[in-house]
Amino acid sequence: MSTTQQTRLDPFLVSVLKSRFESIVREMTLVVTKASRSAVIKNAKDLSCALLTYDHRLVTTEDALPIHVTSMDVATRPITEFFDDVKQGDIFLNNSPFTGGTHHADLIMALPVFFDGEPLFWAVALSHHADTGAPEPSTYLPYAKSIFEEGMHWPCVRVAENYEEKKDILRMGALRNRVPDLWLGDVRAQKGAVLTAEKRIVELCEKYGKDSIKDFVEDWFDYADRRAKAEISKLPKGTYDYQIAHDPVPGVADEGIPINLKIEVDPEAGEITVDVRDNIDCVPGGLNLSENTCLGACRIGVFNNLDASLPHCYGSARRIKVLMREGSAIGKPVYPAGTSVATTNVNDRLTTAGNAIFSKMGKPFGQAEGGPHLPVGMAVISGQDPFKDGQTYVNQIFVGYAGGGANHGHDGWLTYCGPANGGLITLDSVEVDESMYPFIIESREVEADSQGYGEFEGAPGVRGAYYPLNHDMTVMYAADASTFAPRGVLGGLDANPTKSRKKTRKGEVVDLPAFNQELCADGEKMIFNSCGGGGYGNPLDREPTRVAKSVNLGFICADTAREVYKVALSGPDSSGRFDVDADATATLRKTA
Amino acid sequence: MSYQVCIDIGGTFTDCLVVAPDGEVRIFKSPTTPGEFENGFVNVLHVAAEGYGLESAAFVAQIDQIVHGSTVATNALVERKVARTGVILNEGHKDILTLREGPRKGAFEWKIDYPEPYIPASLTETVRGRIDARGHEHVALDEAQVREAVQKLIDRGVEAIAVGLLWSVVNPAHELRVAEIIREMQPGLAVSLSHKTNPLPREYKRIIATAIDASISPVISSYISKLVTKLEEGNFVGELLLANCVGGMMPTETMIEQPIYSVMSGPTLAPMAALALTDEKDVIVGDMGGTTFDVSALRDHKLIITPDSMIHDDALGIPKVDVRSVGAGGGSIAHVDVGGMLQVGPHSAGARPGPACFDLGGDKPTVTDANLLLGLIDPDYFLGGAFPLRCDLAEQAVKPLADELGVSVEKAAYAIYTTANHNMVGAIEDITIREGLNPRDSYFVAGGGGTALHIAEMADVMGLSNYMIPRFMAGLSAFGGLISDLRNDFSGALHTDARRFRLDEVNTLIDELRKEAKAFLEAARVPEDKHTFELSFQGRYEYQSWEIEVPFTLENGKLSETDIEDLAARFHAMHERIYSIRNEDDTVEFTRWNVRAIGKRDTIDTWRAGKVAAQDGAPVPKAHRPVWIQEGVDGGFRDLPVYELNDLGSGAEVSGPSVVEAETYTAIFRPGHDFKVDDLGNLLVTIQRS
Repeated sequence: MSTTQQTRLDPFLVSVLKSRFESIVREMTLVVTKASRSAVIKNAKDLSCALLTYDHRLVTTEDALPIHVTSMDVATRPITEFFDDVKQGDIFLNNSPFTGGTHHADLIMALPVFFDGEPLFWAVALSHHADTGAPEPSTYLPYAKSIFEEGMHWPCVRVAENYEEKKDILRMGALRNRVPDLWLGDVRAQKGAVLTAEKRIVELCEKYGKDSIKDFVEDWFDYADRRAKAEISKLPKGTYDYQIAHDPVPGVADEGIPINLKIEVDPEAGEITVDVRDNIDCVPGGLNLSENTCLGACRIGVFNNLDASLPHCYGSARRIKVLMREGSAIGKPVYPAGTSVATTNVNDRLTTAGNAIFSKMGKPFGQAEGGPHLPVGMAVISGQDPFKDGQTYVNQIFVGYAGGGANHGHDGWLTYCGPANGGLITLDSVEVDESMYPFIIESREVEADSQGYGEFEGAPGVRGAYYPLNHDMTVMYAADASTFAPRGVLGGLDANPTKSRKKTRKGEVVDLPAFNQELCADGEKMIFNSCGGGGYGNPLDREPTRVAKSVNLGFICADTAREVYKVALSGPDSSGRFDVDADATATLRKTA
Repeated sequence: MSYQVCIDIGGTFTDCLVVAPDGEVRIFKSPTTPGEFENGFVNVLHVAAEGYGLESAAFVAQIDQIVHGSTVATNALVERKVARTGVILNEGHKDILTLREGPRKGAFEWKIDYPEPYIPASLTETVRGRIDARGHEHVALDEAQVREAVQKLIDRGVEAIAVGLLWSVVNPAHELRVAEIIREMQPGLAVSLSHKTNPLPREYKRIIATAIDASISPVISSYISKLVTKLEEGNFVGELLLANCVGGMMPTETMIEQPIYSVMSGPTLAPMAALALTDEKDVIVGDMGGTTFDVSALRDHKLIITPDSMIHDDALGIPKVDVRSVGAGGGSIAHVDVGGMLQVGPHSAGARPGPACFDLGGDKPTVTDANLLLGLIDPDYFLGGAFPLRCDLAEQAVKPLADELGVSVEKAAYAIYTTANHNMVGAIEDITIREGLNPRDSYFVAGGGGTALHIAEMADVMGLSNYMIPRFMAGLSAFGGLISDLRNDFSGALHTDARRFRLDEVNTLIDELRKEAKAFLEAARVPEDKHTFELSFQGRYEYQSWEIEVPFTLENGKLSETDIEDLAARFHAMHERIYSIRNEDDTVEFTRWNVRAIGKRDTIDTWRAGKVAAQDGAPVPKAHRPVWIQEGVDGGFRDLPVYELNDLGSGAEVSGPSVVEAETYTAIFRPGHDFKVDDLGNLLVTIQRS
């Protein structure tokens, strides 16, 4: 098909400029990483950079967290609606979900890039700031009912003109912040990034000419469009729907938050329409999605089911139409609804639904459900360190998190963590954690047989236990999937739910609430079972050699092989490995 | 007569560099012999002997020292042809080698399998017992359980056991006891202990290194003993030194004891060469071979050591010289993807069938084919004319791709060329960005046979001002080996911070490490006046989760109270160097201490005497030929002067655009790229930008 594609530019220039644009975004990311000061940006890499055309079409993202950038267009568009005098040297800040932001902690900085007096691009840097000046010292507030219980909102505010910072406006932000120096330093790191991008784009325009750069953008979008269309044309035509729910959160959503997702696939046109209009109204808490994250989650679900090498830009995203309803918890929230945790929780569930809905097309499409964020193994722990003269510590640990759902051809990804991060979050080292905080991580292991079985198996969950040394430790977590465990698809089985427990001094093991702040006293132990992912397809269709592999990995026991998969194993051989007993398996499966 | 020799076994060729006593350096090449690498080693010595007009035995007898870098360990790991190895871990932590620190993947990449652990579950045993972060025994070791575990592994036929227990780096008692029990139960069974192999307070990396070390031990021992036998049979009476991955050489006995240091040792020799070739502070070293482009760098004129190297699905675990690879080489294959975009690599035609123009049966368009069509390579002067290339076959291979793109064959060839260049620039930016170097302010040293065809355009893309084409570019790694010191690292974990500094303990540790370092140099028979010791620590800000390496010096062999502030200041400065910021108010933590033993070799500077004659008059090109030159969106053939390297004397200056040909390389200089020949025959390039 490619022979008939006519590009505006010489073909070499398309691949050259593609590389250069990627390089610019990498350099922006470097500038933010290097120049930022707070740990959440530097260590956890909770930042993303992007380039968009001046008319708000996403060109390039690199090394970005999917939920930050997939719908960045929503965050810049209001700028040109509010301002009719955008000029070179302007810088804007946006974090408000009511003007296209993700949630209050993600401060989005945008600079218009001009060449020869013509605005060509938006250079955008997003950082998750350590503090937003909210009533509670946290950026994740599931109980914050409205904007008035959140940090400061910046609804597309011009904070610089002619490259000069407006000191009075930035002073407002610094005053409303628990760590003003850190905040301002991190804002300036973002500024460094967008200025770098401006310089590099101008250099490209000088070298290749403005028109070549404009042509490149169109060629690049066309390319992404062709790739996306080719991918979508392989899908079966039809309308599909899927239901999923976030666990109950007492006082916010006592029955949980149900999500209805519908998609319509038109392979001839190469288009997918995602419809989330049929959903509940906003809830009285911080669990509502923002327009940005809702749109992002809907697009990510589709992208997760297409070839991974597809460019994730306007050109491919324009083939995904998203229908949202105003006033819905899963849609466009109505002012002043709370959206503090709009990038995790319900957003995790919506993305998961997007991953799974494709399974309604039958094999080989779609994914089984994977586990969400914030089990006890990912808690925020705090206390006074007895080995450091009672110095206060507080931080999030990543000791054990959820496994991923299976898809056709592949078992789930073990170190998945949650759908918003695409499996990119690093698992903590036991020794590094124990050297930082006064506690012992007694165990952290794969929990065999906790996953959903299937022709392709969910990743197993991870279980473990930790306890404070010589002091009392506060443990905050929000373990979704304690009630509604990740489900299998197409005959694949469900995973076990997440569990949060504590072993008391008497040795009793007690169940804890799923959304909780727990005091783990000296002598007590926190116990977590982070859930695994769901299975894909009927377990009886699983290739016997894959069953043997799961046993050999220690992900399932031999009884499961026989009873669930109806696979008979021989062995163990001299090295301790099991093999398939083909004859006995044939007999077992015949009678199954 | 006595010669110094370095033999570097690469994926395609085994390179041999020889320095004669007068300092003259020559390169010889012979095909690599996978499976029996020692044969290729001996073959290339024959080729060298011929080059000097000597019988092989007579030549070998005159060799003082052979230094050697190889891919033996790397190949064994990639192909998993290693010893059956068991691992013993703490109860509750059986999946350290499975979970890792979360393997890397792409954000939208789901059609992949989670990688299996290096040691299978059936050979993984756990035992009760626990040391805490402060080195206290938190739970006693259950020796009965240890015996059970060891028996199980023995029954399963392991040839080696790796022991990796939590916090063994601060208190090795449990690991040592497990080792005793293993020796009691099965005397002679190979045992690797994590606190010895890799004393890093980060369990996955420490233990994977220990497992790898245990599993390749038999492979390395056997290779070394075969090599030694072959050399002795061949009349060799000199000394054999082996390259390690921390940027130096080791005697064979040391390598047998710590075989993991031989993994990926070959590519680390390229930055060693750059250390000797230039005094520039920040240097990028790029080495383009047939299948990959390897990048490394010097920061402040020092090697960059990283604990993050990967081999196959796992970390290597030990800190080693940072070298990164991208699948871009002369054999990289170009294709047009389903959306109509040209892609180059990572698939490679390798050495066989190789590029279409090699006429060895390859019919896919490769980078080398494109270079030939662009006139960058003279078909009759490839490898000094030893290997004529066929333009017609190159054209045949590129034509279908040109048709798909709807452009001429030349334009398609340029598209392949420049796409490959941008892939390599991406790899360079990857390492420089992460290590705190700005490519624009860096110097570039080219290595490998192909780099000089590409560096000029890459330099313009990156905005470099200067670069160097070393005389022995094609054998840069071997050259690095030739001029490397003996080197080994000795380290220990000791966690402390600037506010509660454990002075006496740190001094005791440094003292012990220094003794070990000295013993290493003595065992390698390095005279005492050639001993150097470099000290460094791994540090981080409190509650940061990753460390950086910080060098420091000691005035009188011991740290005193007043030095603590200085250590912290050095950390702040290095942190600012790499990450642009410092947090003076944060507490600095120290996690690991390192003493690097360096033994300077006597003959190491012999090559500096091998000067080329001064240039007499203006340089005269041997020919002119049309070469594709691209300027922005326009490109076309221009008739460029071609100079023969051997005709250029020191001090010769040539303005770009131009071509230089040598037996082992061809260099293309773009307009504005002016070079000057130094007295060793290296081309020093300065870029004039309008």
